[in-house]
Amino acid sequence: MASNMVDEPLYPIAILIDELKNDDIQLRLNSIRRLTTIARALGEERTRKELIPFLSDCNDDDDEVLLAMAEELGNFIQYVGGIEHAHCLLPPLETLCAVEEPVVREKAVESLCKIGSQMKEQYVVDHFIPLTKRLGAGEWFTARVSSCGLFYVGYPSATDLLRADLRALYGQLCHDDMPMVRRAAAMNLGKFAATIDEPQYIKTEILTFFKDLTQDDQDSVRLLAVEGCAAIGKLLDRQDCVAHVLPVIVAFSQDKSWRVRFNVANQLYELCEAIGSELASDTSQYVRAALASNIMGLAPLLGKEVTIEQLLPIFLSLLKDEFPDVRLNIISKLDQVNQVIGIDLLSQSLLPAIVELAEDRHWRVRLAIIEYIPLLASQLGVEFFDDKLGSLCMSWLNDQVYSIREAATVNLKRLAEEFGPEWAQTHIVPQVLKLIDNNHYLYRMTVLFAISLLAPVVGSEVTCSVMLPAVISASKDRVPNIRFNVAKMLQNLVPILETSVVEQTIRPCLLELNEDPDADVRFFADQALQKCDQVISQRRAGGDHRMGGVDG
Amino acid sequence: MSDLDRQIEQLRRCEPLKESEVKALCMKAMEILVEESNVQRVDAPVTICGDIHGQFYDMKELFKVGGNCPQTNYLFMGDFVDRGFYSVETFLLLLALKVRYPDRITLIRGNHESRQITQVYGFYDECVRKYGSVNVWRYCTDIFDYLSLSALIDQRIFCVHGGLSPHIKTLDQIRVIDRKQEVPHDGPMCDLLWSDPEDIDDWAISPRGAGYLFGGEVVSKFNRDNKIELICRAHQLVMEGYKWMFNSQLVTVWSAPNYCYRCGNVAAILELDEHLNKKFAVFEAAPQEERGLPSKKPAPDYFL
Repeated sequence: MASNMVDEPLYPIAILIDELKNDDIQLRLNSIRRLTTIARALGEERTRKELIPFLSDCNDDDDEVLLAMAEELGNFIQYVGGIEHAHCLLPPLETLCAVEEPVVREKAVESLCKIGSQMKEQYVVDHFIPLTKRLGAGEWFTARVSSCGLFYVGYPSATDLLRADLRALYGQLCHDDMPMVRRAAAMNLGKFAATIDEPQYIKTEILTFFKDLTQDDQDSVRLLAVEGCAAIGKLLDRQDCVAHVLPVIVAFSQDKSWRVRFNVANQLYELCEAIGSELASDTSQYVRAALASNIMGLAPLLGKEVTIEQLLPIFLSLLKDEFPDVRLNIISKLDQVNQVIGIDLLSQSLLPAIVELAEDRHWRVRLAIIEYIPLLASQLGVEFFDDKLGSLCMSWLNDQVYSIREAATVNLKRLAEEFGPEWAQTHIVPQVLKLIDNNHYLYRMTVLFAISLLAPVVGSEVTCSVMLPAVISASKDRVPNIRFNVAKMLQNLVPILETSVVEQTIRPCLLELNEDPDADVRFFADQALQKCDQVISQRRAGGDHRMGGVDG
Repeated sequence: MSDLDRQIEQLRRCEPLKESEVKALCMKAMEILVEESNVQRVDAPVTICGDIHGQFYDMKELFKVGGNCPQTNYLFMGDFVDRGFYSVETFLLLLALKVRYPDRITLIRGNHESRQITQVYGFYDECVRKYGSVNVWRYCTDIFDYLSLSALIDQRIFCVHGGLSPHIKTLDQIRVIDRKQEVPHDGPMCDLLWSDPEDIDDWAISPRGAGYLFGGEVVSKFNRDNKIELICRAHQLVMEGYKWMFNSQLVTVWSAPNYCYRCGNVAAILELDEHLNKKFAVFEAAPQEERGLPSKKPAPDYFL
């Protein structure tokens, strides 16, 4: 009875199987489309033992037939005896994964994933993962391309050892010689990474793969990596996301390929809306610091309007952050914003915040502000500068921190170079000289440093008439440190002053210092005297030489 | 540029000297230190610093805030070595500066400048690790014996690593100590390097097992008898970097920020100008990017 039931529909089935081998593609296609009918008729066991092996050998067929087969096999589990036997479907699909036609391969991967995700864990380990590894190590790039889409299915079931193998293999694929493979690796990285529940590997291995792909030679690879930014970003904690993914986005937006830039630009506005409002108020100072150090790079890319609308509020809020590193990171990249938002807005909105930070209690923040001043000055122009920032620059000369005083003197020199010797002569030199009466030796010393830096800029006339007398009188200072610094300063001034000044003013002063009770004063005076001799004898030699030339 | 100037440049980059250079440097240092008094006379202006403990990059931070030697005059009150990662470079830089500019920098001895203590708290291990032998440790610990025990600034400010001793009533009693020896387990020399001030009336046993605890009355009497206005000392971690006690008759200065790379404290130096006006400069640990490569070795167990 039972055999009758089966036997009866077998006749048309025999025809269908014959058609699978027919020369007419249309007939083969028809037959494949009715594969489930054939299988149902054959029964589970014969399907497993006869039909599937037969199909495994049919990989030479027309692409259209193979595509149909790849699709049909994805829904075949029930016809081979349920998930217990699902693995018998893998071999024909594995073959299809290596064919030349991408559409077929993609369909085969899709079906494999469909099957693999239903398989029991042990079968995944015994069959699916070895398949993934075989394809990943395949000789033909087609197999390797297909493998990229399979990792995410097997990984969760894998043992620790196997997991390490899979990650290592994926790393190889990310660095494959063939760009097609790297493209597939880039495209599937996010999906694979999402199944890795060990955060340490996300932060190390996966992030490295990602960064490498974002720096790929081929723009088509980078292009696909851009799209992974969000997926990777979601897997990292916020701090790492801002620290590692945001710079990639910034770098992408300067990519030499317009296709990559286009792709970034399409996503950027939303991205920064999302990043800015949420992260700028993040409870972790480290997230805010990472945001601060990366967000400035977006300004030139977003352009004026979006920067003002989206970024400026974030800058201002980060500039007032209670954590000094956050403030510092914003300030040190301010130059990237200047040109974008224009001088008017800069002076209205950012300048007050900058002035406030000039007195920040954290000296590295003050230092960052000072180092930014020359740039700001060149953009603000001399009038605006005098008005708003002039007194600030002088006040740093009295800062309690040595490095700030030192930076303040360098800043004055840069300003003098920017605004010219005449401006320096009226706006800087008199105020600097006033400070020489400070009753703390370290602050008087700052004045000497400032003089030695300003002298070459303002020229020998102003140096001789105004600054040199101050230096000479400091040679009588009660503190030896001031006196030996006078000697050092004079040594620096010798090359830029006329011989007569060196002989009549500097040398006598140094000779006196050379008799000082303090050994260090004598040492530096002696060095300076040697410099005098050297410079003057060079000048004489040079003069004689020129004279000789005229005579000859 | 002289060899010594070159060595100073090298040490400022936290690169240790060759063993032979250390030996030569210590020989020269010995000649200078042997001439110094147990109560070394120091002229203001000078900047006073407390414990450094091998935290080289934090000492660089100190110089960034206070100014470089010789521009700024310095007095370091001991405990240059142990606990931090760079005791060798730290001590050798200070010693090289001492040899190059003996009038600009004064080094006095702390309780960690001792053979016994450095074998427990890291300096010995560091020397062996960095040089493969104990020679450098020997040269350095031999030099420790020559370090002065205290300093007196303009006859008015007495500086010492630890504090007072019940055996010492006058500065002259310090002056007659024969200091060229390993720090003893007890007695006046030991107390100067080990004692702590405490809010008590008189003297008490120190929980450290060496030195004593001494109170405000002891300090008042000592200062009055010796015509000094302030005792300046180090030796104890203070979270704010400095701490006044006993109605401003004593101050603790601590110069190792984030002590042992984990305490979270700020550090301070005391800047005295030529009129003995006092100004504390407070500073934090050097930021990570200013430090050399982080040590891959796990922290040894002598970390707190």
